[in-house]
Amino acid sequence: MEPKPQDVRSGGNGGERSVAVDQEDSKPHEHHMIPVWFFVGVILLIYGIIILGTGIYEFHDPPPTVLANTHPAIWWGALLTAIGGVYVYIYKPKKS
Amino acid sequence: MNLSFPIPLLVLWFGTPDLAQAGKRLIFLHPVDIAIIAIYFAMVLGIGFYLKRYAKSGEGFFLAGRDMSAWVAGLSFISANLGALELMGWAAATYQYGILAAHWYWIGAIPAILFLALVMMPFYYISKTHSVPGYLQLRYGESARGLAAVMFSCMTLFMAGIDMYAMALVMKVVLGWNIHFSIWMSSLTVGIYVALGGLFSAIFNEVLQFFLIWLGALLVPILGMIETGGWHQLVARIHQNFPAGNYTHLWGPLAHFSTNPMGIHWTGIVFGLGFIISFGYWTTDFLVVQRVLASKTVHAAKMAPIIGSYFKMAVPFIVILPGLIGLAVLPYHLVPEKVAIATGQHSYNELLPLMLARYCGPGLLGLGITALIAGFMSGMAGNVSAFATVWTYDLYRPFMRKGASDDHYVKVGRWSTILGVLVSIGTAYFVMQFSSIMDYVQALFSFFIAPLFGTVLLGMMWKRTTAAAGFWGLLAGSASSVAMFLVVKFNPSMLAYIALSSDAKPMAENMYRALWSWLVCVIVTVAVSYATKPKPVEELTGLVYGCTELPSEGHLPLWKRPIFWAVISAILFLILQWIFW
Repeated sequence: MEPKPQDVRSGGNGGERSVAVDQEDSKPHEHHMIPVWFFVGVILLIYGIIILGTGIYEFHDPPPTVLANTHPAIWWGALLTAIGGVYVYIYKPKKS
Repeated sequence: MNLSFPIPLLVLWFGTPDLAQAGKRLIFLHPVDIAIIAIYFAMVLGIGFYLKRYAKSGEGFFLAGRDMSAWVAGLSFISANLGALELMGWAAATYQYGILAAHWYWIGAIPAILFLALVMMPFYYISKTHSVPGYLQLRYGESARGLAAVMFSCMTLFMAGIDMYAMALVMKVVLGWNIHFSIWMSSLTVGIYVALGGLFSAIFNEVLQFFLIWLGALLVPILGMIETGGWHQLVARIHQNFPAGNYTHLWGPLAHFSTNPMGIHWTGIVFGLGFIISFGYWTTDFLVVQRVLASKTVHAAKMAPIIGSYFKMAVPFIVILPGLIGLAVLPYHLVPEKVAIATGQHSYNELLPLMLARYCGPGLLGLGITALIAGFMSGMAGNVSAFATVWTYDLYRPFMRKGASDDHYVKVGRWSTILGVLVSIGTAYFVMQFSSIMDYVQALFSFFIAPLFGTVLLGMMWKRTTAAAGFWGLLAGSASSVAMFLVVKFNPSMLAYIALSSDAKPMAENMYRALWSWLVCVIVTVAVSYATKPKPVEELTGLVYGCTELPSEGHLPLWKRPIFWAVISAILFLILQWIFW
């Protein structure tokens, strides 16, 4: 980690705060910002669950799309759920 | 300005009111699709409200605290460029022109991005500028800054308005949405979250949008390749469906203007697109450079574009490949927009929605549409956040109110974000009334970007360049570009001279006009420099190569050095050219 010049890093209000954006930044901070990856995880997890649920429903009522027999909603929904779940787990906000 | 490359194509495809009058509706959404879209809007607004607390200082609001890691800045850098119209426009272009469209993602991006990372980014970062016009002020003085800031601000808002209008037209045709609803809903959402969280909010949402764009669009090429049975079968089916066309070679058809549907020669692609337009856009358009300026260190600022280059190189898999799959699997041929209106057939620009409808059922369809909306909003957020910074720091502060408090400038930034969105909406409605103006406004941006590259490049690389030379070179280059545009507009036969061939088409004109205007800028800048007095060397520290001590990377292991990853990116780029030659 390279040193961060104070004149560049500090805010216009005297550098009273510093924020972490992702876990590459290991410096101690006065206020911890929720990492962007957590938000990514949340939305992918929600979308994954919705699409996976839709895919299960489609076993009874398949959509009139090409390759519907491969059940893309099932495996794509599962993929989104897995990615989202991993991101939420790893980057969930920690109690200070 | 994510559409700077495919400007003429996209205007032709999306910029005509005929599209809205077609009366067709390609996709019907289910409640689950609507829910997915609604969740997306709630999430981006929620992020904006959450980040407001971190955007109270100027550094926080305009430069995201300069605290972004290379990955966050790199993904944001690419996402701001990846607009929805770019996705749809280039998929459509591929159906019409084949894999030639990939030039705009490969030679039209990768060399320039790597050049930005390795050569130019250290100077932008070390100079501690807030913006590209800000760098011009440090290097050349207020006149060059003012000229660049005014041109950038006007063009950014015009472009945002045009994108907004074109996107609303697409949503009307694809989903049957009311055009006014599309314009106001999407642009006000962007305005609110950028005004609240500034560049923090724009960057966070762009990273989110990056994932949604990829995960929403990637399913089409995956299912398409499954349906066709792989690359070789795909090529065979394209040749079967279109025996006269050459849709799967990058360089072979460019031997002459008349041997490819774009009507362009390889010199135009290499020098016009690959050198001038591409370098001008990727290294001087503040929309993309701003994301990298938010990096936490010089090392991160160099790595961010390099990381972005890998994803940019991969974008053809979600844009170009669906176009090729469309050529192979659609049971009918798509036609130009005017023919589609007259005959009721589907047009080129409906390619991506048609492919989504072909493969995606409920839920997945909502995800695909969300990808398009996310693409639009990431481009829009890029425009308004860049505008707010340039307006506040490069126009308002130096020319209207110097020496105000940091809080005051943050307030101006928030209000200028809202103002920028409203002006863009006004532009959208103006274009709705006078659609022919789109051709001119889109061209305006290209007038500016190529000469600006000459001005910035000479300023960074040649310490002899003087303040007067920077201003007059930029002005002369832009004026020459306008002059060439007008000459061809009023006398189309002049295109043969500007593009060096009577077989040249409008696409070639853009490439060669950019090349000549850059040359004019460079020649005028050099001539004026020799006629005027240069700045003392000590005033050029941190701004010019040879006068600046750049941070050493010798202590880093090889795999952590930017040059290592840049070389791998360049090798992958060359391999792709060889594979699809």
